[in-house]
Amino acid sequence: MPETFTFGEMLSARSVIGTTLAELGETNENLWVLTPDIGATLVEFRDKYPDRFVDVGLAEQACVGIAAGLAYDGNIPVVSGMLPFLSMRALEQVRSDVCYPNLPVKIIGTHGGLVGNGGSTHYAVEDLALMCALTNMTVTSIGDPLMVGEIIRQSMDMQGPIYIRLAVGKKDKVLYEPGQHEIRIGKGIIAREGTDATIFTHGTVVAQALDAAEELAQDGHSVRVVDMFTLKPIDEELIARCAEETGGRFVILEDHLAYGGLASRVADVVADRGIHLTAFERLGIPQVYAGFGDDEELRDKHGYGLAATLAATRRVIAHA
Amino acid sequence: MGQVTLSAAEDPHTVAELEDLAFELRAKLLHLCGTYEGAVHIGGDLSSADIFTALYHYGLHVDPSDISNPARDRFVLSKGHAAVCMYIAMAMRGFFSYDGIVDTYGQLDSAYGMHPCKVQLPGVEASTGSLGHGLPLAVGMALSARGRGESHRVFTLMGDGETGEGSVWEAAMAANSNKLGNLVAFIDRNRQLMTSFDEERVVLEPYPDKWAAFGWNVVHIDGHDMGALVAALDGLPATDSDKPTVIIAETVKGKGVDFMERNLAWHAGSLGAADLERAMAALEASREKESV
Repeated sequence: MPETFTFGEMLSARSVIGTTLAELGETNENLWVLTPDIGATLVEFRDKYPDRFVDVGLAEQACVGIAAGLAYDGNIPVVSGMLPFLSMRALEQVRSDVCYPNLPVKIIGTHGGLVGNGGSTHYAVEDLALMCALTNMTVTSIGDPLMVGEIIRQSMDMQGPIYIRLAVGKKDKVLYEPGQHEIRIGKGIIAREGTDATIFTHGTVVAQALDAAEELAQDGHSVRVVDMFTLKPIDEELIARCAEETGGRFVILEDHLAYGGLASRVADVVADRGIHLTAFERLGIPQVYAGFGDDEELRDKHGYGLAATLAATRRVIAHA
Repeated sequence: MGQVTLSAAEDPHTVAELEDLAFELRAKLLHLCGTYEGAVHIGGDLSSADIFTALYHYGLHVDPSDISNPARDRFVLSKGHAAVCMYIAMAMRGFFSYDGIVDTYGQLDSAYGMHPCKVQLPGVEASTGSLGHGLPLAVGMALSARGRGESHRVFTLMGDGETGEGSVWEAAMAANSNKLGNLVAFIDRNRQLMTSFDEERVVLEPYPDKWAAFGWNVVHIDGHDMGALVAALDGLPATDSDKPTVIIAETVKGKGVDFMERNLAWHAGSLGAADLERAMAALEASREKESV
């Protein structure tokens, strides 16, 4: 069971999706699971509840539309698949069929960011910008595999839709001991305390931000890491608090286009609330189609790897 | 039809009565088109008026005073631009008042606009408008009915033009794969897109064969023959059967008003007072001609 995993161990976030849904299917008789041919980790649910499992094959648009039809009839549908296709090919269905009538459809998927070495057709790097633009949509990006189960459980009671983004979902580092942090949709997690600067981050690169903070601590710097796993609605109070408590020095690190994702969400809060910042740096994917390579190589190549995170954080700390 | 607790109407209408209701529906459509200054999708409203009449006054097991009854048949308007025709058909069935529609249509805060919104107008089953979305929604509703062991039907109405959308065929495969015999798709086969006649630029034929090849039970009728519409509804397979049904209804865009029939200019438009009078006269003339 997931509870046996501890900090630093590797766990498959995908299998957490499967086991969590299979468990929730028992108490939620109206829980349905739909997939466009990405159902390998859903077999436990499929085998236990074959009448509430639908694999539509390669048909993301119909998959989301069918989920909306199920939700109209009082069900809780979960659509699970690869996010580049659920967030773009089926974007209009997500917007018009799910968000417009505010239906409780959960979209849970993998391949958020430059992961999986699939090339640019298979990287979801615009998805958070697109999803955050949709009225009624709650948008999350999860780095800790154990959190995946918790977020899915919490989402069962939500009235409207939610987007749950994972990385490749096969081998994810456990970041938090169970019970270490209060995990609540809409509230960021202070993954590491610090006073000199805040690194806001989400998803697969939270681990990288923690590594950077640890390395900076060796040089005497106290860097706070905030896992802002809910991008929408964003935890405005925490952003304001971090500005106050970490000298208005912000670094935003994310596995998404540098513009349109978390950095833009934070910048909006800063501008709207008139928060004074000393320094603001955003680390993410520039306007390029990224090419092939493993996750770490791609992050290094495109300027948001560990070295770039260290450099940016040192720069903001140096800012008087 | 099915084993639901709701009746389609207190007393089932005869074909002649349904024809009268379809005439009234068309007249009300023209009246709205003549009083509202903006564009009304009158061409596609008129082509589907007989289908809406057959559904709301004969085929659909719905109760306007109990719109959330789980045993009701569901209707999803996929060709959302025919919302006006649906609103008026629903009003004539007792869901809401026709005056409320005609007095507020398209105005700020009205529940009645160009495309239907369930949030603004309860009684409508789904918010639609973008084409090619209705069939997937209906598939989801039909799956849900199956899952709950319910015996109502889920109907949708598509325009033939919108079946150019890939999502329609994705859903057609899903309906067949999941053996949704409780699903009925009407197609308003008026053979006319917004800017062309459909075999000119987009070849849909052999259209019934395409649906049959996707595993559907195909019924092909004259969509302006009320007797044929009633027979198609009466002849639907049992809801626990395993083939979805498509009723391809051959229609004429602008049907009933000679100057609008098969006329690309009347995909959408607005009638002034003088043209309203002319359109009403044409509608009357067409009715007299058909009743001879």
